[in-house]
Amino acid sequence: MNARLARICVMTGVLAVVLLPIYWLVSTSFKSNREITQEGTLYPHVPTLDNYVRLFTEKPFGSYLTNSLVVTFFSVAIALVVGAMGAYAIARFRLPFAAERKVGLFLLTLRIIPPVVILIPVYLLMLSLGLLDSWLGLIATYTAFNVTFCVWMMESFFREIPVDLEEAAMVDGDSRFGAFRRITLPLAAPGLAATAIFAVLVTFNEFLFALALTATPRAMTMPRGTATLIGRIDTDWASMAAAGVIGALPIVFFALLVQRHLVRGLTMGAVK
Amino acid sequence: MQSATQARKYRLQGAGLDLALPYLMLAPGLTIVLGVLVYPLWDGLRASTRAYRYGSPVSDVGWQNYVHLWSDAQFLNSLWVTVKFVALSVSFEAVLGFALALFCLREFRGIRLLRTVLIMPMVITPVVVAIVFRLIYASDAGMLTAISEWMGGGEVQILGNPVNAFIGLVILDIWEWTPLMFLILLAGLQSLPHEPFEAARVDGAGAWRVFADLTFPMMRPVLAVAIVLRTIDAFGTFDQVFVLTRGGPGEATRLISIYGYDTAFKFQQTGYAAALFVTIGLVVLALAFSAIRLLRRIDAS
Repeated sequence: MNARLARICVMTGVLAVVLLPIYWLVSTSFKSNREITQEGTLYPHVPTLDNYVRLFTEKPFGSYLTNSLVVTFFSVAIALVVGAMGAYAIARFRLPFAAERKVGLFLLTLRIIPPVVILIPVYLLMLSLGLLDSWLGLIATYTAFNVTFCVWMMESFFREIPVDLEEAAMVDGDSRFGAFRRITLPLAAPGLAATAIFAVLVTFNEFLFALALTATPRAMTMPRGTATLIGRIDTDWASMAAAGVIGALPIVFFALLVQRHLVRGLTMGAVK
Repeated sequence: MQSATQARKYRLQGAGLDLALPYLMLAPGLTIVLGVLVYPLWDGLRASTRAYRYGSPVSDVGWQNYVHLWSDAQFLNSLWVTVKFVALSVSFEAVLGFALALFCLREFRGIRLLRTVLIMPMVITPVVVAIVFRLIYASDAGMLTAISEWMGGGEVQILGNPVNAFIGLVILDIWEWTPLMFLILLAGLQSLPHEPFEAARVDGAGAWRVFADLTFPMMRPVLAVAIVLRTIDAFGTFDQVFVLTRGGPGEATRLISIYGYDTAFKFQQTGYAAALFVTIGLVVLALAFSAIRLLRRIDAS
């Protein structure tokens, strides 16, 4: 009985700590600025949708959302295809001078370096290529980061799949690449999904490079666009809260949808 | 039979296109990575030995930027703030996450709800997490002020006060990342073998003994990996600070990433900022590789 009471207490405590801040964001987004700063109410007394409407009429949040979706989709899709092939090569082939292992280690090293380290030169590169403030510039950057991640993740998945299956397919007349495409890849589908989900999360939420590489609604992503509301002297709290909700909603919805894969992807690397 | 084996060997070793296959499969990924990550990395190294001054040509200054770093009080301060931030956040996250994981190890009703809710802080866009906490801390519109006024108190000052702002940032990080620690450690706990625990129960060992003699030693590798992952990640923290405090008040929350960003984009000292970032990169790599070596030793013992 005592243990059960303790359990309920801890549960309630954890839920409150996690949900209260989120509640405050959502509830603020339905208040007017007057209610927020002057009345300091604990819940919206006069709920309004104005803040949301303003984001899409007075501010280009529609463009931000489109940009985010396009950039995330292409950079994750390209990285998955390219990364899966690279990971397979590293997991299966023995090259001269153990080249495949060196490439793997090299990609891992790149992955460990904090992205902020190459911010300046990437900015200069995109500047010289005329790719600042464009989809292509962001897609190229995110794809590269995602490739290092996908290779690293997928490699361990491919190692777990027995080689015998591919050999059997090849004895039956499949080419090596055919065996990879028709046998190994479908078997690695759960791993592929976990990798994709994780890449989508990180890419959609990315802010630092979006901050440096974009400047107008033409290419600004959701987090970047949301941040434009911040930092002025009189902060428009209501818009900021609504922007926060809109900014986080797609990704939270996505995460809840794929929860099972997500948890596996998050924890697998560390436990193994 | 003979010919089947022959055929199999032939195909496995590859002929024609198959011989080139590994290289063809690696090429696209490596091309992208070389172009967008490695070339900039090299370019950054080159830039770090130069001085870019407005109105004068780019000049080569050798190691000067690197030497200058160690007498730059602002750099040293941001390094110190970063170390404090990482150490405090990660240790709280590890302890809280481990405690919560132990607590959730036994299946009970509501655990799925708990897990679903705990996913939210770490998937919410970091920029939005920072907005959430600004809405909590703000002295005029914040939740803390609203609660305090509701209870008859006055405005609560968090972001205007150096100590409070720093603690506020640490609390944000703990809120955002304890769930990740929790999930990793819970998965680790669930993958432990059952036998030793059953043996301990038969022997009548108390809960504390079981934890100290069995759970903790067996969990050490997972715990170490989780801490290393989080530490590396926390070192690069940028978004949350940029939105929450922009490094202020004063330099109280100016992490190394913020200082580097300002040096490059606000003060336009490209060469100096490049040297700063190269230094951070090396520090993190050194940390990571010594951690990996340490982990191997734990694994071996």
